[in-house]
Amino acid sequence: RSLLLHARYKPPATETNPALEDPTPDYMNLLGMVFSMCGLMLKLKWCAWIAVYCSFISFANSRSSEDTKQMMSSFMLSISAVVMSYLQNPQPMSPPW
Amino acid sequence: MKNLYIVIAVLFIPWSFSLAKYDEFEDGDDIMEYDDNDFAEFEDVNEDAVTESPQRIITTEDDEEEATVELEGQDENQEDFDDTDTQEGDTESEPYDDEEFEGYEEKPDASHSKNKDPITIVNVPAHLQNSWESYYMEILMVTGLLAYIMNYIIGKNKNNRLAHAWFNTHRELLESNFALVGDDGTNKEATSTGKLNQENEHIYNLWCSGRVCCEGMLIQLKFLKRQDLLNVLARMMRPASDQVQIKVTMNDEDMDTYVFAVGTRKALVRLQKEMQDLSEFCSDKPKSGAKYGLPDSLAILSEMGEVTEGMMDAKMIHFLTHYADKIESVQFSDQFSGPKLMQEEGQLTKLPETKKTLLFTFNVPGSGNTSPKDMESLLPLMSMVIYSIDKAKKFRLNREGKQKADKNRARVEENFLKLTHVQRQEAAQSRREEKKRAEKERIMNEEDPEKQRRLEEAALRREQKKLEKKQMKMKQIKVKAM
Repeated sequence: RSLLLHARYKPPATETNPALEDPTPDYMNLLGMVFSMCGLMLKLKWCAWIAVYCSFISFANSRSSEDTKQMMSSFMLSISAVVMSYLQNPQPMSPPW
Repeated sequence: MKNLYIVIAVLFIPWSFSLAKYDEFEDGDDIMEYDDNDFAEFEDVNEDAVTESPQRIITTEDDEEEATVELEGQDENQEDFDDTDTQEGDTESEPYDDEEFEGYEEKPDASHSKNKDPITIVNVPAHLQNSWESYYMEILMVTGLLAYIMNYIIGKNKNNRLAHAWFNTHRELLESNFALVGDDGTNKEATSTGKLNQENEHIYNLWCSGRVCCEGMLIQLKFLKRQDLLNVLARMMRPASDQVQIKVTMNDEDMDTYVFAVGTRKALVRLQKEMQDLSEFCSDKPKSGAKYGLPDSLAILSEMGEVTEGMMDAKMIHFLTHYADKIESVQFSDQFSGPKLMQEEGQLTKLPETKKTLLFTFNVPGSGNTSPKDMESLLPLMSMVIYSIDKAKKFRLNREGKQKADKNRARVEENFLKLTHVQRQEAAQSRREEKKRAEKERIMNEEDPEKQRRLEEAALRREQKKLEKKQMKMKQIKVKAM
């Protein structure tokens, strides 16, 4: 068989058309940061915990092209929000009911 | 720069810890307690016992909370000497935040009775208790996080196993048909990696190339997001299945000009709305394929009847009928450019690029609860893909069909040009006006009056010439019309 010039792999079009990409990780990242800021400023423990969840969800849904720095920074922010809330007020969280 | 961030983060946490610790040491009284002798704790108790009783009398009427606080402080001192933290807090008479006793409610009546009986056991505020039970909400949260992490690991592994099961089943067929199986685009030379390219925890790609008639084939295994617990829970409400998407890019000379699609009715309706080519060339609603013996679940979208006739040969019908439950959509198009791009009116200056493509979307059986064994059932579908590639190369429209197809394409292009005609005219008009304005400004800015006059004359002459030209054209048109 003659040596054919094979066409090479090109990343799928989603990288050029942002409308096709799943927006979940970006939303979750933003939400996580908002909740952790709320938790820090308003000293609300449940906000901080939700921020931790958001950053986990964002990580699970992340695309390969997403860099880890942003994931790590959102994760660190949420963890620090939880830690700060408990240091300022060691009382356990009270359930909403 | 990265190191700086890490250092700042590392310093921030212990600094905040130390800040928090300082809050507890604000009052001078505390320092007194930390004498070296063993009886330091007891010393304070005796003193406070004396000082507290007068305070109690004064404050009970004023502030019930403070009274109960005094009592608790005393009781704790007598009962629990191991906990110096509680001592620090409780031997204070003043700065009790209301915050510290948020979750704690003491009946106001109880305080009066307890005045007489100081050894009653009272409810200690939750955070001062030495048990983990009071932190049950936190434990719940942490358990939730652990559950999420467990699900992530399990889901990731399952997707991985499914992907490799698919690849192992299909490897032989692919390697016999394509020279290059597996490429991630990073090597300089085109060598087969023989491996799937993992894009995500739920998307795996495989690029195959090196076959006659087609430029290449991209296979995307789009699994469900098993690694995300939220998604798993959402799927319990709304079942979905894993999908295998195959996109074959044909060489220009190897495919004639037609647009054709077959698949489930729901999928075709959606594609007709979303896809640029299907919406422009296939104007009718999806038709039933019962005429050709297809099951009711499948429908057909076609540019013209001749294409459908040509495509629906015996073997294709056999494939479609036998594997109808796994087929979501099949699209053959020479004008494929992906989904309709959402662009503003003013920006659409030229048609998007098209490529001759065959698109296949298959559903993995099991509707979410797939096992690696199910991947074997997709093998015949891959044979269908290979067959389709050869068929697309062989199928040629006859003269009539070709004329119709060309007319269709010309029509679409004309429509597009008409749509943008207005914009292009406006753009040209604005450009002309810009030029005129620039010239006028130049004339104005020219200081030398002589030069100014000359430039003005030149502009005037140019205007006159243009007008003459227009008149000539109008005359010519009139002559022709006559």
